[in-house]
Amino acid sequence: MTTLASGGLTSGVSAPPGGLRRIGSARWRRRNLTFDKISFFLIFLVIPVAFYIGFVVSPFVQAAYFSLTDWTGFTPAMNFIGLSNYAKLFTDSTFLQAMGNNILMAIVVPIVTLGLAMFFATLVTVGGSTRGNVKGLRNSSFYRVISFFPYVIPAIVIGLIWSQIYDPSAGLLNGILTRLGLEQFTSFAWLGDPRTARWAVMFVIIWGLVGFYMVLFIAAIKGVPAEVFEAARIDGAGRFRTAISITIPLIRENVQTAFIYIGILALDAFVYMAALEPGGGPDNTTLVMAQQLFTTAFTKGQFGYACAMGVVLAVVTLAYAGLVFLVNRIFGGKSEVGE
Amino acid sequence: MDINSRPLGRRDFLRGSLAAAALAATGSLAACATSGTGTTSQSSAPAGQVSDTNPFGVKSPSTVDAVIFNGGYGIDYADFAAKQVEAKQSGVTVKVTPTTKVAQTLQPRFVAGNPPDVIDNSGAGLIGINTIRDQLAELTDVIEAKNYEGMVIKDTLYPGVTNPGTFDGKFIVLNYALTVYAIWYSASLFEQMGWTVPKTYDEMLALGEKAKGKGKYLLGWGKEAATYYQTMAIGSAIKEGGDEVRLALENLKPDCWSLPPIQDVFNGLKKIIDAGYVKPGGSGTQFTAAQAQWSDAEQFILYPSGGWIENEMKKQTKSGFKMTGAPEPTVSSNSKMPWEALHSTAGEGYIVPSQGKNVAGGKEFLRAMLSKDAAVNFAKTKLSSTIVKGTVPADGFGSTALQSQIKMLEAAGSNIFSWNFVDLYGMNTDQLVVWNSFLSGDADVAKLTKGLQDITDKVANDDSIKKVQVS
Repeated sequence: MTTLASGGLTSGVSAPPGGLRRIGSARWRRRNLTFDKISFFLIFLVIPVAFYIGFVVSPFVQAAYFSLTDWTGFTPAMNFIGLSNYAKLFTDSTFLQAMGNNILMAIVVPIVTLGLAMFFATLVTVGGSTRGNVKGLRNSSFYRVISFFPYVIPAIVIGLIWSQIYDPSAGLLNGILTRLGLEQFTSFAWLGDPRTARWAVMFVIIWGLVGFYMVLFIAAIKGVPAEVFEAARIDGAGRFRTAISITIPLIRENVQTAFIYIGILALDAFVYMAALEPGGGPDNTTLVMAQQLFTTAFTKGQFGYACAMGVVLAVVTLAYAGLVFLVNRIFGGKSEVGE
Repeated sequence: MDINSRPLGRRDFLRGSLAAAALAATGSLAACATSGTGTTSQSSAPAGQVSDTNPFGVKSPSTVDAVIFNGGYGIDYADFAAKQVEAKQSGVTVKVTPTTKVAQTLQPRFVAGNPPDVIDNSGAGLIGINTIRDQLAELTDVIEAKNYEGMVIKDTLYPGVTNPGTFDGKFIVLNYALTVYAIWYSASLFEQMGWTVPKTYDEMLALGEKAKGKGKYLLGWGKEAATYYQTMAIGSAIKEGGDEVRLALENLKPDCWSLPPIQDVFNGLKKIIDAGYVKPGGSGTQFTAAQAQWSDAEQFILYPSGGWIENEMKKQTKSGFKMTGAPEPTVSSNSKMPWEALHSTAGEGYIVPSQGKNVAGGKEFLRAMLSKDAAVNFAKTKLSSTIVKGTVPADGFGSTALQSQIKMLEAAGSNIFSWNFVDLYGMNTDQLVVWNSFLSGDADVAKLTKGLQDITDKVANDDSIKKVQVS
C-alpha cells in the first residue's frame, strides 16, 4: 500500500488543524491592532473579499436584475418588467424541454460515470489477487494511464471526433455495424434519430470523463490504510462486499464531491452539445439550457430573457448540489467512518 | 499520513470545492452581466467639408473603425476598399478588424455607446437586425452619392438589392454580396446521363426514379442545413402563389404555412421523400460532409443552396463537375410567376451605427466598396457577384457556377424576390429541428406545417419582439 502517495494528495489541501478557531479566542478580542494584524487583514481578507464582490457577486446580482428587464443586450436602455420573463419561461415549451433534458442528463451521467469509475478504480487498487498483500490487477498502472487519455483531450475535440464516428454514411460506428452484417444500420443517423440522439450524446460525455473520476477514486482508495482491507479479507469479505461495505463508506466524501462536479457538468454540457448537436438535436431531444440561453441572447437579442434562463440554471444547479448533500446525509454521511 | 487524522481540513476543503464548483456552474449567469453602464454621449458631427469628392464630409485627419466578419469571403476585399478610402481621402486612415463572432464581440461596445463606424454584420453569430435597428444610420445618402467613377451609385446596382436592407421604409443595411438561390447540379453528369433539369416537383419525382436506376439519390441534406429545403420550398411557393404568399409569411399571419401553394410544395417534397429518393441519414451528417456527398462522391444529384456553394466546396468538388444552377421548381406549369423567376437577395449586410465616432467615415468606406474597382476585385477573387452590375465577364472568370448565376439573373429580369422573416426574428435554429424530422421521413406534412406554424405564432404573439410590417 502506497501511503506516501496519499500523504502527498491530502497535505496540499488541508489547513493547519484548528488554525481558524484561534481567531475567536480572548487574545483576539482585545483589539490590539498592530500593523502586522492590519496588513494581514488587508491582504488576506479585504482584498480577496473586494475582488470577490467585484468580480463574482456583483455580476450575479446584475444578471439577476437584468432578468427582470426587457434588455435587448445592445442598448444601454432597458425597462423593468418584473417577473414576466419568468412567467414566459415556465410556459416556454422549448425551454422546459431543455430543462428536462438537462435533468435527465444530471441523473444518468453521474450515476453511470461514477459507477464505472468506481468499478475500475476498485479493480485497479484492491481487486487483484486474493493472495498476499492487497493489490490491484496485474499491469494496473498501465490501465490507469490508458483510461486517463480521453480526459486529456479537450471536450470540444472529443465532440468533433465522435461526431465523425457517428456519421451515418462514413462513420466508424456504422462501418463496423454494417460490416458485422447489421444492415439496418446503413446510413443510420445516431445523432439524428430522436430515439438514439440523447443516449449517443451521453455516451460521449461518459466516455470522456470516466478516466478522470477513476483516477480521483484511485487516489482516495489509496488513502485508506491497507490494514482495513486486509482485516475485511480475513473476515471473509469478497471483492464485491469489500467495495460496498468498506471502500465506498471510507471514501464517501470524495464520491459526494465527484457527484457534484459531474452533475454540474451535465447541467451545463454546452461544449459537447456545441460540437455534437449544435441545433438541439432531433425534435430538440438533446437541447440543453445553456444552448437555449446562448441563442436567446445572441441570435434573438433577448438578453433579459436569457438572464432569466441563467438564473433558473443557477437555481437548478444549486438545488442539485443541495440534493446530493441531502442524500449523503440521509444515508448517514456524518456518523460513518469517513469523518 | 492518514487522511482521517484531520477531519476539519478535509471538510473545509470539500465545502470550498462545492462552493467553487457551484460558482463555476453559474458562470453562464455572470456572462449576462455588463462591464458597466454605457455613456450616452452623442457622436460628434462630421466637421469635414462636404463636396462631390467627399459627399459625407469625412473629417481629416480621422480614423474609420471597420469590423469585418471573417468568414467565407475573408477580409482581404475589405482591406482593398480600405486602401481606396485612404488613397481618395487624404488624412483618413481605416482600421480593419476581423471577427468571426460579430454579436459576441460587439455587444459590449453597443451597450457602452461606442460601436465601430462600419460593421459587416454576417455569419452565424450576426447581430439580429431587429435588436439594433433603432441605432443604425440611414444609408440612403450612400446610394444617392456618386461613386469613385462619377456615376450615381443607385444606378449601378442590380434591381431590388436594397429591399432586404429596408425596414419600415428605412434603408439601413447595405447587403453587399449578391446571392442567387437555386438548385445546383453537375452539368457534366446531367449531360452524360441525358437528364434535364426538373422544372416542377412532378418532374423532380420522375428524375428521382431515373437517378435511382443509376444507383444515385435525387436529394440529400446535412443537419445544420436542413432549412435549405425550407428556402427552396418557400421560393417555389412564392412563384406558384405570387406575392400574397410572401406577404403572409413575412407578416407572420395565422395559418400562413397552410396556404395552398405552400402545402402543394410540401406534398410534392413529401412524395419524393416517401419514394426513397432522399439520401437517408442527413439529420446526423455534418452539412459540409453532406455537400461533399453531392459535389465529390456524386451520391445525390441535386442540391438547393445559395451561390456561395461553389466557393464553400471548392476543395471538395470533383474535377470536371461543372457546377451549374437552375431556378427553384414550381408546382404547376401555370404558376403566377414564371419558372425563371428567381429568389435572389443580397448578403453580407453592412451597417453604420449612428452612435459611431465617424459615421461619415463609415459611409465613405461603403462608397469605396461600391466603386467599380472594389466590386470587380470582389467578383474576381471570390467568384461571386456584388450588388454592382456588370462586374462579371461572360466567362465568369472561368467559373460555371458564376456564369449560370448571371444567366439566371438576366433571365429573371424583374421577377426577383426575397424575404427576411427567418433571419429577422432568428427562427432558423427552431426550424432546423422540424425540417430535419421532415426530411428524414419521421414527420408528415401536417406535422411539418404545425411545427413551422408554432414557431411563427410564438414570435407573432410575443409582444416583446418588435415586428416589421412588410407590404
